[in-house]
Amino acid sequence: MALFQIFDPVAPPTPIGIDLGTTHSLVAHMVDGRPECVLDCDLSPLLPSVVHYLEHGGVMVGTEAKGKAALHPRETLVSAKRFMGRGADDPETTRLGPYDFAMPGPGESNSVRFKVRGRAVTPVEVSAEILRVLRTNAEAKLRTVGGAVITVPAYFDEAQRQATKDAAKLAGLEVLRLLNEPTAAALAYGLDKGRTRGTFAVFDLGGGTFDVTILSLDDGVFQVRSTGGDAQLGGDDMDRLFAEWALGHMGVDPATASPELVRAALDAARVAKHELTDRPTTVIAVTAGELSFERSIRRTEFEDLVRPVVERTTPAVKRALRDAGLRPEEVDGVILVGGSTRVPAVREHVKKLFGQEPLSDIDPDQVVAFGAAIQADLLAGDGAKDDALILDVIPLSLGLETMGGVAEKILPRNTTIPAGRAQQFTTYADGQTGFELHVVQGERELAADNRSLAKFVLRGIPPLPAGAAKLEVTFRVDADGMLTVTARELNTGIEQRIEVTPSFGLSGDDVERMLLESYEHAESDLATRQLRERITDAERVIAATEAALRVDGDLLDEDERAELDGAMRALREVIAAQDGKKVHLRTEGLDRATQPLAERRMDRAVQQAMKGRAVAEIEDTVKDRPEHPHLAASYAKDAETDKETR
Amino acid sequence: MATELAVQLTPKAVEKAKEALAKRGTPGAALRLGVRGGGCSGFSYVIEFADKQGTRDQLFDFDGLRVVVDPKSLVFLNGTTLDYEVKLMQHGFKFVNPQEATGCGCGESFGV
Repeated sequence: MALFQIFDPVAPPTPIGIDLGTTHSLVAHMVDGRPECVLDCDLSPLLPSVVHYLEHGGVMVGTEAKGKAALHPRETLVSAKRFMGRGADDPETTRLGPYDFAMPGPGESNSVRFKVRGRAVTPVEVSAEILRVLRTNAEAKLRTVGGAVITVPAYFDEAQRQATKDAAKLAGLEVLRLLNEPTAAALAYGLDKGRTRGTFAVFDLGGGTFDVTILSLDDGVFQVRSTGGDAQLGGDDMDRLFAEWALGHMGVDPATASPELVRAALDAARVAKHELTDRPTTVIAVTAGELSFERSIRRTEFEDLVRPVVERTTPAVKRALRDAGLRPEEVDGVILVGGSTRVPAVREHVKKLFGQEPLSDIDPDQVVAFGAAIQADLLAGDGAKDDALILDVIPLSLGLETMGGVAEKILPRNTTIPAGRAQQFTTYADGQTGFELHVVQGERELAADNRSLAKFVLRGIPPLPAGAAKLEVTFRVDADGMLTVTARELNTGIEQRIEVTPSFGLSGDDVERMLLESYEHAESDLATRQLRERITDAERVIAATEAALRVDGDLLDEDERAELDGAMRALREVIAAQDGKKVHLRTEGLDRATQPLAERRMDRAVQQAMKGRAVAEIEDTVKDRPEHPHLAASYAKDAETDKETR
Repeated sequence: MATELAVQLTPKAVEKAKEALAKRGTPGAALRLGVRGGGCSGFSYVIEFADKQGTRDQLFDFDGLRVVVDPKSLVFLNGTTLDYEVKLMQHGFKFVNPQEATGCGCGESFGV
């Protein structure tokens, strides 16, 4: 449960600090003089730096995208940061990752381009997608964000730094400054406080990269003395060794193991590794299909296993010290950065290398973002507070009519312009081949009570089961107040757009009147919305049940069939009576009553699979089952993939 | 408009809100609570300083702290208690809303 800070409508936008990492990215800001990370809906500060390109133009970013990497390696860009600012002919380029590269055409810059779904995407564009999501997440918490400090590795050259700035610009972020990652970590620890000189080492072991940096503080300014590292070393290597060990104990050759088993072993290894951070022993449990394996493991055993990985950090540390002309004991402090520095064996190793206890009070995943937030706050603090920006806002919410006549607000009232937001919707009925879009303006809960701005239809969608089509609707209001609504079906790429000026024919008095009306009807509006949503939900469950009965009705005996028919009849009665509470209860009742049918349909699907039917057919059958219709059917929309598109 | 609709604040929330108003240099301003559309579950909570009061706003007084809620938001917030929590990594205000049917983990948005 996130906690709220009081928003000040007249305060300048909050500056943010961004750690744009190879594996994960984070965004932080200051609250009462302390840095704090923005959490996503899963309460995690870490956004996986992974972008998945959908077939026709849509993108997924983060955890959801990461889940696509195994099945769609070429359409899912991981670690794009490794390619930032690299030329297409750079020998490093082709070595890193399973991607197809597009060669620059005549007159094009010599930049790496990934060939994804028939188009060329630059690392800058991939990074911009990640930054956009970070910005959206920050705006959800802070409402308005100001300039950003973005961190980059100390060894980034000018081209790589410029590429990072370009990505920020694409994402609509104002870059206050780029900051070296190790410097950010030092700022987070406040090493510039209370002293003007000093020498520090930053030991950064992430999931897939290792960096060590020697910093010197001179007259309160941090400077990079030397850097070193290994771009292919990190916690993932520990997981790999640990997983191979587990597979060995299972009597499986890692080289010939199925991808599913390898994935299961890697996941189990990561879980056990995390547990061994706080405990002297744990149990590693691998389950994949018929195979399962459990064994308790002591931390010391694990440490022996991963020792080669930990030892590989030694040469880079020694070289960085030598390049800076320092002996280990001349370092005034060592900072730990990166999730892998939580592993006790790593901490021990660092202690041995530098002959001192490293600093580790601040979460090593968040410390760089914290430093960036501190720097952003300092930079924005100069003068920005006096000239508070006057921003234009949208006077009334803009939204769409969804099933049941409910008005879904896409851009809420008082959003500053220019603004944009995309939301995904899906089909309500099996075989639905078109979407009718009704754009409405106002604060009322029902579309009919709001001002109708435009209607248009998106046709030509292939008939699919309900919920399979994905419609992305984007609302964009430019600086002049012009609204562009774009609807695109993501499986087919079919697109339709419309432009309207929402303020046309709308006076200040009208706005006031519409607001007052929404106040007058607040209670009845809420009740009606709830009722309409419950009825929509109920009707979908009925439709799904009927569809299942048509195909597999023979799976039920007479009594079961009668019970199901009775439950449907009872639900229809309360729908007709418009009794919201009973509709809700009986929808759940019907849902429970369909469980035996759902289970038997699953069994039948599996049996048919044994008879050699194509896997795709079975997947369709399984997908279609009404096991949890309320999950797929609760609303005719799927709002989880909201994303900013300003 | 039914007048029995109301929100509550815990003493800790009142104290922290007063502190924030004093720190801002506007001890006489009010605190606005509300909801707006958007967020992953349909609605998001709003808590902000209010220098101005709308003619239709409902006004509450908690030990000298003025709290305003617009009539529409009040329907969604009815029965809500605003609390203040101090946790290891975070501190801030929390909406405890009995009407909330679906939360989106982060607690920033909800459905009814």
